[in-house]
Amino acid sequence: MAGYAVAIAAFKLFLLTSPLAIVVVVSLVVGLLMVVLFGYTSDQKAIGIAKDQLKAHLLAVRLYRDQIPVVMGSYGKILRGTGRYLKLAFKPLLYVIIPITLLMVQIDRYLGATPLPPNAPFLLTVHTTGSDALNDVTLDLPPEITMTAPPVHVPAGNEIVWRLAGSKEGKYEVKIAAAGQSAAKAVCVGSDLARISTVRLRGQFWERMFSSAEPALPENSPIESISINYPDRNIEIAGYGMNWIWLFFILSMVAGFIFKELLGIQI
Amino acid sequence: MKEKGGAGNKHWLCSPFAGKRARASLFFLLLAVVLFPTLSHAYAGPGAGFAVLSSFWAIFVAFLYSFYALMTWPFRQLFRFLRRRNAYGKATFERAVILGFDGMDPDLADRFMNEGRLPNLAKLREKGTFSKLRTTFPAISPVAWSTFMTGVNPGKHNIYDFLARDTSNYLPFLSSAEIKGPKRHLKIGKYSIPFGKTEIKGMRKGTPFWHWLGNAGIFSSVIRVPVTFPPEKFQGVLLSGMCVPDLKGSQGTFCLCTTRASSDKFREGGVRVPIERKNGVCRSYVPGPENPLLEKAGELRVDFEIRPELGSRSARFVFGSEKFTMKVGEYSEWIPAEFKAGMGFTAHGICRFYLKELSPEVEVYVTPVNIDPGHPDLPISHPVTYSIYLAKLFGPYATLGLAEDTWALNEHVLDDDAFLAQAYGNHEDRERMLFDALDKTKQGLCACVFDTTDRVQHMFWRYLEEDHPAARDVPHSQHPPVIQELYERMDRLIGRVMGKIDEDTLLMVISDHGFKSFARCMNVNAWLHQNGYLTLKDGKTESGDWFEDVDWSRTRAYTMGLNGLYLNIKGREKQGIVDPVEADALKDELQKKLDGLVDPASGAVGITGVFITDAFYRGPYTENAPDLLVGYGAGYRASWDSVMGKVTGQVFEDNTKAWSGDHCIDPRLVPGVLFSSHKFIEDKPAIVDVAPTILKLFGLALPAHFDGKAWNLATKASAHQG
Repeated sequence: MAGYAVAIAAFKLFLLTSPLAIVVVVSLVVGLLMVVLFGYTSDQKAIGIAKDQLKAHLLAVRLYRDQIPVVMGSYGKILRGTGRYLKLAFKPLLYVIIPITLLMVQIDRYLGATPLPPNAPFLLTVHTTGSDALNDVTLDLPPEITMTAPPVHVPAGNEIVWRLAGSKEGKYEVKIAAAGQSAAKAVCVGSDLARISTVRLRGQFWERMFSSAEPALPENSPIESISINYPDRNIEIAGYGMNWIWLFFILSMVAGFIFKELLGIQI
Repeated sequence: MKEKGGAGNKHWLCSPFAGKRARASLFFLLLAVVLFPTLSHAYAGPGAGFAVLSSFWAIFVAFLYSFYALMTWPFRQLFRFLRRRNAYGKATFERAVILGFDGMDPDLADRFMNEGRLPNLAKLREKGTFSKLRTTFPAISPVAWSTFMTGVNPGKHNIYDFLARDTSNYLPFLSSAEIKGPKRHLKIGKYSIPFGKTEIKGMRKGTPFWHWLGNAGIFSSVIRVPVTFPPEKFQGVLLSGMCVPDLKGSQGTFCLCTTRASSDKFREGGVRVPIERKNGVCRSYVPGPENPLLEKAGELRVDFEIRPELGSRSARFVFGSEKFTMKVGEYSEWIPAEFKAGMGFTAHGICRFYLKELSPEVEVYVTPVNIDPGHPDLPISHPVTYSIYLAKLFGPYATLGLAEDTWALNEHVLDDDAFLAQAYGNHEDRERMLFDALDKTKQGLCACVFDTTDRVQHMFWRYLEEDHPAARDVPHSQHPPVIQELYERMDRLIGRVMGKIDEDTLLMVISDHGFKSFARCMNVNAWLHQNGYLTLKDGKTESGDWFEDVDWSRTRAYTMGLNGLYLNIKGREKQGIVDPVEADALKDELQKKLDGLVDPASGAVGITGVFITDAFYRGPYTENAPDLLVGYGAGYRASWDSVMGKVTGQVFEDNTKAWSGDHCIDPRLVPGVLFSSHKFIEDKPAIVDVAPTILKLFGLALPAHFDGKAWNLATKASAHQG
């Protein structure tokens, strides 16, 4: 029994900490939910008819292959049928696209990038409203983060870039001051799964919703954004690394096609 | 999850988004997705993926097919050109369209034309041809249509009736096709797993004329011509018609699910299944085929539930994974019926429900379970994909050979209106198929047979007469003009077809036989018994079905089926007693005695001709033919009992069934019709001439074994231009 409990615990730990396991589980669940949601929000009968018509025209091309007018006519009907089918799929897509987009944004915060490795240099970039503000920008670092090179000013891009390194695993805040105002940016150093925000933004509500996991910078601050170049995370499968989104794409599709058959839902 | 009927229910998931505010939020969120794309939402989830994949897959496959078709087209055209030079080079027409109206009667057509009810047929009569079309001996659909397609007499195509007899046991079998399961089985416990394919053997011999056309490179679309099951390979597409079985393997077994307790069995064609009612929910089942995996065969079933809706005359049905709502007096759509035998084996069928009654009793009629055309477990078309193509294009349709449930009307399970709704529903499906074939077949042959004319005349002839035994309870003034409306409907169909054809198309409208009243039944077995040709076992005065109580050792002649009369010949029948040398004399004797036989009740002649088949059957299959054919007079036909090999005490009796018109009589009395858009010069055209005529019009040489002769065309002035 003890061995069994240990195995279960190890499996749970694997699920919690392995990006691959997370992607697999999320893909299966999302595949199922999306199929169900698609089923409820779509006109199943109309979609079934539209798909059947498409299949019929495909078969017509085969059945009447010696009759070019029939073949070309069927091809035109296939194009029109495809348009009709996409139109029918659009409404359920509207319902599906919102939760899935929000979910993927959240997952991407965990799986899109890896934390900064200890002692490895990384770049902190501050973007200001104008080049004049660059001279006023100062950086305040916690003891675990050190500057490994002097800052580089890029007046043409209103940017100032620091090369830093974290000496110890953990979550820290670096403080940037400009024009009498101070703003913090989270820095994550380590190797475990963590919620990472690559950029902190001022305003830009929609972009902030999709790209940043931190509160907005003050509206009157001369700082427009603070970003860190976290390394991209690659998930290894059979020696081939890929972004989690591609794996999710494939697995959720496969899961969706399986569940649609099991549930008898037309997609 | 699939939902049929009861449309318009909004799911609760939709409601949060119903308001304007929600729609505005939705719009802005979508706009954000579009305007601020990042990696994470470049892919919008499986929903979008499905849509994109499915639609682009269709386009991709279509593109591949089209590319292949276009690239190879010049070569195929060259090949076809080389093959067709002799065909189309000498062809009189680019296309021939043959509409077969099973059982259309020339006298009725003439009468309705003269009354101005059939303007399109009248137009054909005026500009082209209208003539009686001599039918086959006997005048039975499978026989006549087999002759139509092969151009030969029954002695060469081997079809003499719906049924043929097994000389080893005097039992009947279907004359057109034989279906045998796989020979080898692996036995595991209670299971017997079949190995190999189901063998379907076509019993109709001879070569349909569209095969000759195909050999010459001429394309054909053939829809629902009888006795084309199993479908044969040729250049063209074909959907099988009459003689396609249902999923049980029968020629149509309906099901009456009922809460009424009854031990009565239907005479033929149907079964009664109890409905169990508990807590307001009714449960029953639709019986299917035998389980092929069990050594001791058991019937497969699909259970269903009926939930009557309070305060209305409708009920919610749950049948397998299908859910639908029906009102009393309504048919459902075609519903898929999957009979699961276990181990992954599923038989695919379709059926329709008809809600007869909800209160106080619950009764539901279920059509015979047809082979699913979109997922055919047996081939019902050539190529197999043709039936699937039609199902995808138009939705599921009746595939059963005798799809109009005449037995259900005979047994009062369906009333007149319900039967007509079913028959015309099937008819409309076939019209759609015909017009699709016309669109797809601009050159070559397009042949389509409509059964509706036959079935409706069989079942509603009683209303054409003043004193038909089957309609004596309805005053003549209240007889609905069903047959007149049928002919008008067929005429409108012809009008629409004429609108689709041009000068280079020959349109022929033909029927395999005509129709007459069936008011009186005659049991020839009873007559044979009373006249000493058929003897019953000691102590018996009547015999059950299939000669149950016949003493074969003292029987010289018997009838089975609609017109066939057989001698019990020594060496041929298992218990034969008639010396072959004496057979001719016995035939002559029977002919003399039966020909002109008078019905004592009416004084009318019940049999107007008895034909010795040696005289007119020629070919390699004459040994399977009846020895004599009984030609009944107008108003008469073989009795229901006689057809099934039953011997009764009475020779003549009234026919009180709804099946009140017939054609299985003296073939000279029931010729078919021939209409054509172009005039033929022929005094006495016969159905056997159609095949040679078509081949000739396409410029092909006629095979030497043909029995028919090709008609001569007078001019090429088409009726539709008149």
